Amino acid sequence: MEEATDINRELMLDANATAGLLYEIFGMDMTAEPTECANCGQEGEVGTLLAFTHGPGVVLRCSGCESVVLRIVQTPDAIYLDARGAVYLRLTTHKAEPENDSLGG
Amino acid sequence: MKSTLNWQIASVARITPETTNVKSFTLTLPQWMRHRAGQHYDIRLTAEDGYQTQRSYSIASEPEREGEIDITVERIGDGEASTYLHDVLVPGDQVEVRGPIGGYFVWEVGLSPGPLLLIAGGSGVVPLMSMIRHRAAAMAKNPAALLYSSRNFEDVIYYNELEKLRSANSGLQIFHTLTRSQPTDWKGYARRIDQEMLKEVAGPLGKGVQVYICGPTLMVESAANTLVKIGVDSNQIRTERFGPTGG
Repeated sequence: MEEATDINRELMLDANATAGLLYEIFGMDMTAEPTECANCGQEGEVGTLLAFTHGPGVVLRCSGCESVVLRIVQTPDAIYLDARGAVYLRLTTHKAEPENDSLGG
Repeated sequence: MKSTLNWQIASVARITPETTNVKSFTLTLPQWMRHRAGQHYDIRLTAEDGYQTQRSYSIASEPEREGEIDITVERIGDGEASTYLHDVLVPGDQVEVRGPIGGYFVWEVGLSPGPLLLIAGGSGVVPLMSMIRHRAAAMAKNPAALLYSSRNFEDVIYYNELEKLRSANSGLQIFHTLTRSQPTDWKGYARRIDQEMLKEVAGPLGKGVQVYICGPTLMVESAANTLVKIGVDSNQIRTERFGPTGG
């Protein structure tokens, strides 16, 4: 798998920064939800993914092997999601009483 | 949890200068919701011609404060959003925001009452300040330390408030390091965060320390890797990188 280049590495963020965009797609906060990299098998929260947001579209890479896990492109009337780099994404539908009424987690 | 994430119109209640390049904006929210320390809001700016730009800004205030939030923003020379917020926005103006968002980089005393290590580079201190203010508001006494790297003394955000919290005897230690220049009587660190410094700061907090690191990407990477090298479990480290500058 091709690693991110140096300039991209300097501009790299965490997937936490894309929480709003992910919320638009999934209708919930995804940063504390688990996923698994299809390349190396590393499991972790979506928030641990490395986010590259300075190109056209958003690329989220595995923090272990840096292969692409999710690719998101927004057009004026649609959002494209390429998730072939993820074995799965988990969306919690039922949770113990939340600590408070905020949207996160 | 199942609430929708709607844009709302916030009003600027106050603008507080923090340093030459950093201001705090107090926003009143019609649909205020309690955040978790470490979360952020997205801010959307729309120009007259319809051009829109969007940024994420960490919440600086404690969740205990109701109806309003503070965001603290560094003015980036060529940053279109931060220059607008700094140079154009005045109290009474309105901005479009949505949040609070982000369930990963959060700390709550109720969920994680053990030793806490916060590491900040520059304006990366902002979400950590929300955690520190939350800790103070909740009157928590868990061992906690902030290691805060700034270029010069003048660039240190929240210095006076941090000094006050340090002397409040709540178990919070504050370590500053100034990497570029130091006042003549400076007693803190005067170099980039390194292994020796992390050993001195993290060591007394013990093995089970929960770590939050926020700052420029390369600084975050280096601090996280060094902590793992000196024995901190990587699962106990949460990072938030904001690129070379922010925006």
